[in-house]
Amino acid sequence: MTHRPLVHKTAMPGLGLSAGITIAMLSIVVLLPIGALLLKGANFGLSNILEVVTRERVAASLYLSFKLALLAALFNLIFGVLLAWVLVRYRFPGKRFLDAAVDLPFALPTAVAGIALTALYAPNGAFGSVAQEIGWKIAYTQMGIFIALVFVGLPFVTRTVQPVIEEIDREVEEASATLGASRLYTLRHVILPMLMPAALTGFALALARAVGEYGSVIFIAGNIPLRTEIAPLLIVIQLEEFNYDAAAAIGIAMLVISFVMLLAINLIQIVSRRRMGHV
Amino acid sequence: MSDATLHTRRHAFRAATEEAPLLRITLIGIAVAGLAILVFAPLAVVFAEALREGWLAAVESLGNQDARSAIWLTLLITAIAVPANAAFGIAAAWFITKFDFRGKAFLITLIDLPFSVSPVVAGLCIVLLFGANSAIGGWLVANGWPIVFAIPGIVLATIFVTFPFVARELIPVMIEQGRAEEEAALTLGASGWRTFWTVTLPNIRWALLYGTLLCTARAMGEFGAVAVVSGKIRGQTATMPITIEMLYNEYLSVAAFSMAALLTALALVTLLLKTLLELRHADQLAAIRRH
Amino acid sequence: MHIDIDEIAKTFGGTTALLPVSLNIPSGALVALLGPSGSGKTTLLRILGGLEFPTSGRVLFNGQDATGMTVQERRAGFVFQSYALFRHMTVFDNIAYGLRARPRNQRPPKAEINRRVTKLLELIQLPDIAKRYPTQLSGGQRQRVALARALAIEPRMLLLDEPFGALDAKVRKELRQGLRDIHDETGLTTVFVTHDQDEAMELADLVVVMSMGRIEQIGRPHDIRDKPATEFVREFITT
Repeated sequence: MTHRPLVHKTAMPGLGLSAGITIAMLSIVVLLPIGALLLKGANFGLSNILEVVTRERVAASLYLSFKLALLAALFNLIFGVLLAWVLVRYRFPGKRFLDAAVDLPFALPTAVAGIALTALYAPNGAFGSVAQEIGWKIAYTQMGIFIALVFVGLPFVTRTVQPVIEEIDREVEEASATLGASRLYTLRHVILPMLMPAALTGFALALARAVGEYGSVIFIAGNIPLRTEIAPLLIVIQLEEFNYDAAAAIGIAMLVISFVMLLAINLIQIVSRRRMGHV
Repeated sequence: MSDATLHTRRHAFRAATEEAPLLRITLIGIAVAGLAILVFAPLAVVFAEALREGWLAAVESLGNQDARSAIWLTLLITAIAVPANAAFGIAAAWFITKFDFRGKAFLITLIDLPFSVSPVVAGLCIVLLFGANSAIGGWLVANGWPIVFAIPGIVLATIFVTFPFVARELIPVMIEQGRAEEEAALTLGASGWRTFWTVTLPNIRWALLYGTLLCTARAMGEFGAVAVVSGKIRGQTATMPITIEMLYNEYLSVAAFSMAALLTALALVTLLLKTLLELRHADQLAAIRRH
Repeated sequence: MHIDIDEIAKTFGGTTALLPVSLNIPSGALVALLGPSGSGKTTLLRILGGLEFPTSGRVLFNGQDATGMTVQERRAGFVFQSYALFRHMTVFDNIAYGLRARPRNQRPPKAEINRRVTKLLELIQLPDIAKRYPTQLSGGQRQRVALARALAIEPRMLLLDEPFGALDAKVRKELRQGLRDIHDETGLTTVFVTHDQDEAMELADLVVVMSMGRIEQIGRPHDIRDKPATEFVREFITT
C-alpha cells in the first residue's frame, strides 16, 4: 500500500500528451544520439580509447582546450562580476545600451565572431598591428584562442550575478559601515561572499561553453598541431577522414572531463552555499 | 586643517553604501573599455570589412545563386527547428510544473544536458546514430531518407544545440504562477485545451516569445554542430554560417563579411526585440532571472 | 444536493494526508471543515471538487457514486484560497468564463451571459467594477469576484478553501455575513475550510473538526463547544 506512485494523479489535464512529447523528443534529439556515442565507445573498448586519447596530438589538443577554457572562464569570472556591479549600482550615460550589449556574444553567430576577431587581431588588423609594434602576436597563437573564448563566455557571469546584486539588502552594507568597516573591506568581506554562488554558476556555464567552442576559435587559432589545435577541431578532422572510432574516443574524453569539472564546481558551490546558510 | 575639513565634508555627502568617486569612475572605465574592446570592436569590424569595397560589392555578393540558397536554407532550418523547440518547451514545462512525479530533477538535468555538450560532439553523436555507417542510418539511406549530409540532419543538430532554450524560460515563470488559475478554469467547466489556450498561454506568452527569440538567434547562427552533419555541399546543405566559412577560406573576404553582416543585423534585431521585451514585460520575465 | 463521503483515504507519495474518513453532508447545509494546517481539510475539499482523487473510498452526490467524475462534470463552485482570478482578464470576463466554456449547444447567448454577469455583480454588491482587472481590486473585492465567478456556472455545491484567510479582520467580518446571505439565498450545499474556530462557529450549521488526517468530531457549533469529544478538540477550541 505504501509504494509511491510514479506520478501523483490530479485533475490537471494533459499528462499523457505533455509527458509523451517531452520524453519522445528528449530521446530522439538528445538521449539516443548521446547513447550512440557511448555505444560506439563501448564497442571500441576502454584500452583503445585511452590509446587514442594519449596520442601526443590528441592529448595536446585536450590539454589546450581545457587549459584555455579555464583561463577564459576565470577572466570572465572577474570581469563579469565587475561588469554586473557597475551595471546594477552605478548610474552613467549609456548604461542601458551597455547592458544590452552584454548579450551580444549570445546573439552573434560564432562563425561571425570568429572571422571578426581574426580580422581584428591579425597582424594587419586594427588591434593586431598595434600589438605587433610592441612585439606581440595574438591571432594564430594561444592568445587568440583565449580572446575568442573570453568573447563567447562573456555574458554568463554577468547575467547570473546581476539579479543577486539587485536583491542585496542595503542594510547589510550599512551595518558593516556602522561597525567601522571601510567600503573596500565591506566589498571584499560582505558583498563578494554573497555573490560567490551565483558567480560560480556563471563560471561553470562559461567554462562548459568555452570547452566545446568551435566556430569562433578555428579562424583565429591557426590550427597548428600540438600548439593551437583545439580538441573539437581534432574531432572534425577525424570525421573528415572517416575515423569514427577515434572521433568517438575524443568526444567521450571531452564529455568525461567536462562532467568531472562541472561536478567539482557543483561541489564547491554546495560548500559555499552551505556556508552562506541557504542551500 | 582646511584639508581635513574638506575630506570629512566629502564623506558626509557619500552614502555608506557607495564607493569613493575615484574607485567608481575607475570601475566604470574598466567596464566600458572592456566591452568596447571585447564586444563593440568585433561588431564594428564585421560591417567595416563588408563595406571595404563599397555597398555595391557587398550587396552583389549576396545576390548570387549560392548565397541565396544559403540564406533560404538557414531560414528553412530556423522555421522548422524553432517551432519544434517551442512545442517541446511548452510540453516539457507543462509536464514539469503541473505534475508531481519522481525523477523531476533528473529530467530537468537531462533537458539542460545540451548546454554542456560541445556542438561538435553533438554533431558527432548525430553522425554516429544516423550516419550511413550505422544500422539506423544505413536503413534510412537505403530507403531514400538520408539524415546526415542532408537537411534533416541539420535540423536535428540545430534542435539539439537549442534544446533547453524555451523550456528553461517557461519553467520558472510557470512555477511562480502556480496551478490555481488552471484549476479554477477546470472547476468552471473548461476542457484541458481551453484551459491551456485561454488561461495558461496568455500568462506565459511573453516568456514564450523571449525563449523563442533566444532560440531563433542561436538556430540561425549555429556552426559547430551543423559543420559536422551538413557535409557542406554548396547550394544544398551549406547554411549561412557554413557559407561564411567557405567564402572566408577562399579569401573572398568581402563576400564572407557581407553574409556575416547580414547575420549580425539579424542578431542585432533579436537583441533589440529582447531588450524591448525586458523593458515592457519586466514583471513576467523577472521570474526567469530569479531562478 | 447531499454529499456522502465514504471511507475516503489519500496518500501523497509516502505520507498520509487522509486516513479513511466518512461524513454525510445534508442538502443545503453550510459546513465548516475546521483544523490546523496539515489536518487534511484542504485535501478533503479538493477531493470533493474533483481536483484530487482519493487513494481509496467513495464520494456520493445525491446517493450516486461520483468518485471518478471529472472536475468539469462535477460543477462544483470552487473558491480558491488565493482566489486564482485570471489576471489577464477583466472582472466581467472572469465571471463569464465558465458560461463561455460550455459546449456550444449549452452555451447561453451573449445577451444572456451579459445579464447573468450583471446580476452576479449586483449580488456581490460591486456593480461598477466589470471592466477592472484583478490587480486593480482590493482583497475583499477579489474574494467576492471569485465567489461570483464560482456562482456563475450554476454550481451544484459551493466549496471554499480558506475563503477569508487573506483578508484583514474588519473585511473578514463583513464577508462572513455576505457568504451567509448568499448561502441562504441560493440554498446551495456549501463546504468551507478554515483554521479559525470563531469563523467556523459563527458561520456554519455543522462543524467538522479535523486533525492529522482524521475527523475528531462532527457536530453543531454549540455541541462542539459544550461537549468536545476528544482532548484535541477541547484544546483546539479553547486556544
